[in-house]
Amino acid sequence: MANTQAICKTFRVDLLKGLHAFGTSVVRAVTTVDTFKMALYLETATINSTTTAYTATGELAATGNYTAGGVAVTNATEPANTGGTGIVAFWTPSGSVTWTNLTSSGSFDCALLYNDTSASDRAVGAFTFGAQSVTAGNFSLTMPTNNLTTGLLRIA
Amino acid sequence: MKVWTTKGEIDRDELVVTDEITEEDNARVFATSWHHNGELVRRDVNVNILRGLELKGEQQDV
Repeated sequence: MANTQAICKTFRVDLLKGLHAFGTSVVRAVTTVDTFKMALYLETATINSTTTAYTATGELAATGNYTAGGVAVTNATEPANTGGTGIVAFWTPSGSVTWTNLTSSGSFDCALLYNDTSASDRAVGAFTFGAQSVTAGNFSLTMPTNNLTTGLLRIA
Repeated sequence: MKVWTTKGEIDRDELVVTDEITEEDNARVFATSWHHNGELVRRDVNVNILRGLELKGEQQDV
């Protein structure tokens, strides 16, 4: 046998599950899973990798059956690292994210995934899909296949 | 069959339906537009996210 320098495979999954607390103080107080939400943003907004938290700036107006802050994502899937060499950890919501009878206040092209349990609504990721508008209809985001190559969040 | 629109419920037979599929970098978008007498009265959109986001870093020797 020989020793090999490496990030342990389970560490990535553990990060997604909040099992480590680096830093000089413990910031997590809850022992339950967090609630994550998706909010929709106008194509004129600026949501990107520098976004640190949910913001109402640039979000669809709270009209036409849209509620500020967006909707909760269904979280019934454990983060995993199955398949391949087991290095990639991944997680995907267990259902589509849907708005019904929606009339968007403008053209929108982005959904922000953020942690609604976090006191500061910390941002997770921005997903773009080309400018869309919805009139008295339904808007849904269908999630990708939950695996190491397409999962919604992956740590490689 | 009735369809909910900006004008309330309208018989399906009175509506002209147009489906559109577009490809974005990381999503496939299915949009359905419903017109009544030439006026857009409903539009539904489904976005299939094809691939999520990856946080990636290479392991390097110390």
